[in-house]
Amino acid sequence: RILNSSSQLSSLPLQILFYVNGIYSIFYFLATLAMIVYKSQVFSYPDDFLAPDLAVLFLMAMLEVPRLYLGVKGNLREEEAALGLSLGLTVGSVVLSVYLLAWQTYVLWADVVLTAVLLCAYGLESGLKVTAIAAFVS
Amino acid sequence: SADTRGAAQARACSAPAPVTDVARLCVCDLLVAQCDVNCCCDPDCSPEEFSLFTACSVPVVIGDSHLCRQKAAVYSLDVEANPPERIFQLVDQVNPNIFCIHAANYKQALYLRSPKMPTPENFDDLLNEFGSAAFNAEPESWNVDTDVPGPPDANETQRYEYGIPIQTEDAFLRLPSPVVSSWCSDANPAGFLVNQATKCIRSVSVEKCESIQALNMLFYINSSILAFVFQVNISVQSIVVQSLDGTRTLLNGADVLRLPMILDELCLNIVLGVSYHVTYTDTGEIIEAAAAFVLGAITKETLSIQQSFQVSFTQVDTKPAPLSGNPGYVVGLPVRAGFSSQGYPFPAEFLFAALGLSTNKHRQLSILQSTPTQDCLAAQGARAPVLFGYNMISGCKLRITAPMKCQPLAQTLLDVLKGQSFPEYVASFGNSQAQDVLDWVPITHLHISEQRISNTSQSSCQIPVSFGIEVKWTKYGSLVNPQARIVNVTATLTTTTLKQLPSGRERTIPVTSSVVFTDISSPAEPGYKAWPTINIKLPFDFFYPFV
Repeated sequence: RILNSSSQLSSLPLQILFYVNGIYSIFYFLATLAMIVYKSQVFSYPDDFLAPDLAVLFLMAMLEVPRLYLGVKGNLREEEAALGLSLGLTVGSVVLSVYLLAWQTYVLWADVVLTAVLLCAYGLESGLKVTAIAAFVS
Repeated sequence: SADTRGAAQARACSAPAPVTDVARLCVCDLLVAQCDVNCCCDPDCSPEEFSLFTACSVPVVIGDSHLCRQKAAVYSLDVEANPPERIFQLVDQVNPNIFCIHAANYKQALYLRSPKMPTPENFDDLLNEFGSAAFNAEPESWNVDTDVPGPPDANETQRYEYGIPIQTEDAFLRLPSPVVSSWCSDANPAGFLVNQATKCIRSVSVEKCESIQALNMLFYINSSILAFVFQVNISVQSIVVQSLDGTRTLLNGADVLRLPMILDELCLNIVLGVSYHVTYTDTGEIIEAAAAFVLGAITKETLSIQQSFQVSFTQVDTKPAPLSGNPGYVVGLPVRAGFSSQGYPFPAEFLFAALGLSTNKHRQLSILQSTPTQDCLAAQGARAPVLFGYNMISGCKLRITAPMKCQPLAQTLLDVLKGQSFPEYVASFGNSQAQDVLDWVPITHLHISEQRISNTSQSSCQIPVSFGIEVKWTKYGSLVNPQARIVNVTATLTTTTLKQLPSGRERTIPVTSSVVFTDISSPAEPGYKAWPTINIKLPFDFFYPFV
């Protein structure tokens, strides 16, 4: 085995980003859930508006786990297939967060800030994944 | 005609659109077309009126305070300027809270919903959704199905009670009245002993005037009233014909039925008003019913007419007198009073004069009515009726310029204070009948003479200066529905000596008259329902075979 940094194609910034993203996703999920509970108490939140918002949040949480796992696995093993799949799941997560940013029943200012940060992280991640895939393929 | 009525109703029934622009909203603008005091957002106020304000009652008009960023209308008064002027600013209000609403996709959350207007189609659903016990309580006797007039069950009730709809051969005695809107609804029954007067609008047209049933006299007198023992036909009491310009003439022969007929471009003999008079006995049986009609004419241009209906109930062998309550006095209705006929040998038998009829206003309990001139001697005898529960005070000024003869002056003032015919008895209940002697309270008279501690002799004449009627009443009956009952009436006349002044000097003496109602009700005593008794009866053959 040659521990030569020039032959190591795994991206370190991507790995760091995955790690930070994992922690932030947990925080984001708990914070958004707490805010939905707050909104349902303070504002008028009928059930047929509450259900889609909660469904989107839980769907995002469920997508996050395979996405991060596949990303980490693909990055560490230098497998472009897993990384590509993770990129696809990222697109789904981006769509769901755009829903939470723009089409939620009540969008609070805190919601906007948290989701914007999350979208920035996704964007940065996607960019780094693309470069990593390009590095693995070539 | 049903289409036009429905369209008119639909037009009239839509709620106004809600205003959401903060620059145009003003919660303190309560008076229409008038300036509200200290309301800086009132559009009816002019700059001169703004300069008179002291503060702004509504400084900021803003939408939901949870929004992150919204427009706010800020009103303030610039007191430094001369004259003070109102400042109006439309500012962008920013909410610093991080939990402020940046965007809301649920529009109804921020505005009150416009309530649904009830229509015949959705009324039942709305009643199920929003109705509660208060709206659902209906006595069984009101379930009269007008679509299918079923034969009334004569074995159910033996006689009419208060409020029960008067039944006729087909359905019930109709008193068309406005329901929800001003259009006539023929489904309003007349209740027994419920004196009602209603006015409503009916759409008409000359072409169809013969076919519209409600314009026809027969519609109102056709079916006879079921009095449970026999049937009472509704007779025509009188017919008044009203011409197109409004003059009314009473017809001589009232037995001829006049049905609507089209003549030239008019339709004559259409019903403009019906007044039912129902006579009943003291056991509650209807023995007679009569209807007085007002017939009129309509032209081709007439699209709707106003019909008025009235029903009044009179007990047989009594003169109809408007009641002031049933049985307790109702606040605001006149206190009924009367006389006993003089010189009757039997003190127990009183013959009372006609009470409270509009032609005999002088025989009501009345009080002097203040006039603008306030001159006692020039009072034209204007009297105001004493209304139950309303304390009143009135008066006039007696100006003495020249030495006046005391005795005629005293008599004049007494007439002014007491009126032409001051009654002797006051009805204890609002519906006291003349023949019930014990229901009438005699008026007690008191005389207070203000003697001046001077060397005036007793025989110097006194002039009345104050007349006060004190009516003591009590609450009578059950705690849940107390009835007002007059117990005592005391009329106090205060007189004072008239000092003669040297000529050239003028004096003004105020003369007052007052009515005071005092509640002397004793506290309510609880009444308990009787304990249920155990009613055990052994069977007839319990002790068989020994008995």
